[in-house]
Amino acid sequence: MILLSIARVLKFALQDFGRNFWVSLVTVTILVLSLFSVNFLVVVDYISQQAIKSVEEKIDLSLYLNADAAEEDISALKRELESVAGVVEVSYVSKAQALESFQSKNRDNQSLQEALREVGKNPLNPSLVVQAKELADYETVINSLDKLSKHTVIESKNFDDHRNLLQSMNTITARTRQIMLLVSFIFIAVTVLVVFNAVRIAIYTHRKEIGVMKLVGASNWFIRAPFLAEAILYSFLGVIAVIAIFYPFIHLLQPYLGSFLNTASVDLVGYFNGHFIIIFGVEFLGASLINIIASSIAVGKYVKV
Amino acid sequence: MITFENVTKFYPPNTNALDNFSLEIKPGEFLSVVGQSGTGKTTMVKLLIGEEKATKGKILVGDWDITNVRPREIPYLRRQIGVIFQDFKLLPAKTLFENVAFAMQVCGHIPSKINLVVPQVLKLVGLEKKIWRYPNEVSGGEQQRAVIARALVHHPKILLADEPTGNLDSINAADIINLLEKINKFGTTVILVTHNKEIVNSLRRRVVTIDAGRVISDQKIGKYIL
Ligand SMILES: Nc1ncnc2c1ncn2[C@@H]1O[C@H](COP(=O)(O)OP(=O)(O)O)[C@@H](O)[C@H]1O
Ligand SMILES: [Mg+2]
Repeated sequence: MILLSIARVLKFALQDFGRNFWVSLVTVTILVLSLFSVNFLVVVDYISQQAIKSVEEKIDLSLYLNADAAEEDISALKRELESVAGVVEVSYVSKAQALESFQSKNRDNQSLQEALREVGKNPLNPSLVVQAKELADYETVINSLDKLSKHTVIESKNFDDHRNLLQSMNTITARTRQIMLLVSFIFIAVTVLVVFNAVRIAIYTHRKEIGVMKLVGASNWFIRAPFLAEAILYSFLGVIAVIAIFYPFIHLLQPYLGSFLNTASVDLVGYFNGHFIIIFGVEFLGASLINIIASSIAVGKYVKV
Repeated sequence: MITFENVTKFYPPNTNALDNFSLEIKPGEFLSVVGQSGTGKTTMVKLLIGEEKATKGKILVGDWDITNVRPREIPYLRRQIGVIFQDFKLLPAKTLFENVAFAMQVCGHIPSKINLVVPQVLKLVGLEKKIWRYPNEVSGGEQQRAVIARALVHHPKILLADEPTGNLDSINAADIINLLEKINKFGTTVILVTHNKEIVNSLRRRVVTIDAGRVISDQKIGKYIL
């Protein structure tokens, strides 16, 4: 009985869609544009994350220690560093580890390797590498490190030149988020208006049916449900269409991004594949919710009991 | 069956469409309601099907007080009260069968029941040979009969006919009135709102005359007195 009614509601919704085909087409198109922009924002967010990551990789907050520093002095300093606000991890790099990584980094540089062999012993110092929680924390961490009490074990610090870069990265990230919010808001508003209008037109086209349904005692939900189902149908078609359009788009975008960001770690298609369900699922649910709200307003306004 | 108790219906800015209107209708009655245009007849019909709310007074259908009927109860009220208006309100893109079936579909009936009941009611109104025609392929009288068939699918206890013959010539009008009498004989209470003097006089049934929203005459075997 209920299944039968649901089937009839869906049938009516599909008929609505077909009867106002051009209005439906325009509505879905606007929805696709909105979803496209939302996905574009996902891309922007992803790129800024990758950019931040690549900066983070380059940030090296290292405290170089005296070669003959005592174990307990080093661990005391390590504990002190770990208690600084914003610091997540402090790792100790021994002389041997430092040499190893230096050698592997400069494997192709023959003259450096040569020079190293001539010195005969390990010329590198042990160090403590500090990692901050987030990009935004680095600045405060650096300031705290600057103020660290003079430890005899510290030979030198290396971190000054990153401050400007960090500051501008932080500003850019915050700006991007603000713009994203604004653009999303505008698109959501436009979508609400367009869906509202489409449902209004559908109601107008069906005013006779609605009148008859009311007259013969159709329940109120049965009269209203097709317009809500139509709203969900719009969302569904919109998401399917945006998937079909967006993948070719990011395939085209991908090669440019790699060279622009100068890192190999940009994999947009992979990112979208990996988050397919969450990205498009949330978009479908969000679009459905927005469309149902718009549709309900139209139905509440134009379908009187 | 139906009771109006001192019902007033006020339309802003300054119309009392019904003014302290009282009327009692017994089960199985065939009642004609007459009166000039704008005297509140359609308002009475709209109050009965919950399309409008009374400003004052009380309305009962059976022992159901519908004065302040809630929106979600209205569908159940309308399944008990069939309504026919002057404009036929058939859907032009559907055949007569589909028009009648539509009324059952939207109320959640199963196809096997629909396929059983729809031909029955169409036969009752004499349209068994034309069930696959579209509304514009039959006469006005036949369209009105299809509307009556549609109003009968829920086996209503009450049939309200608001000027059902207003758009018909006298022969077709007489056919519709005969049909209403036939439906009344099966036990349905019929309320006929009309202007038509000949019809009222030939019926020889109870006639209530309304003027300015009040009952000014109520005769057992009535005549059109205006
Ligand atoms: N929705 C409305 N708003 C304001 N006035 C109305 C409305 N409906 C009817 N009226 C007024 O109420 C009075 C009674 O109308 P109605 O019941 O339709 O009369 P009848 O059916 O007897 O011709 C008329 O004066 C009409 O103008
Ligand atoms: Mg009227």
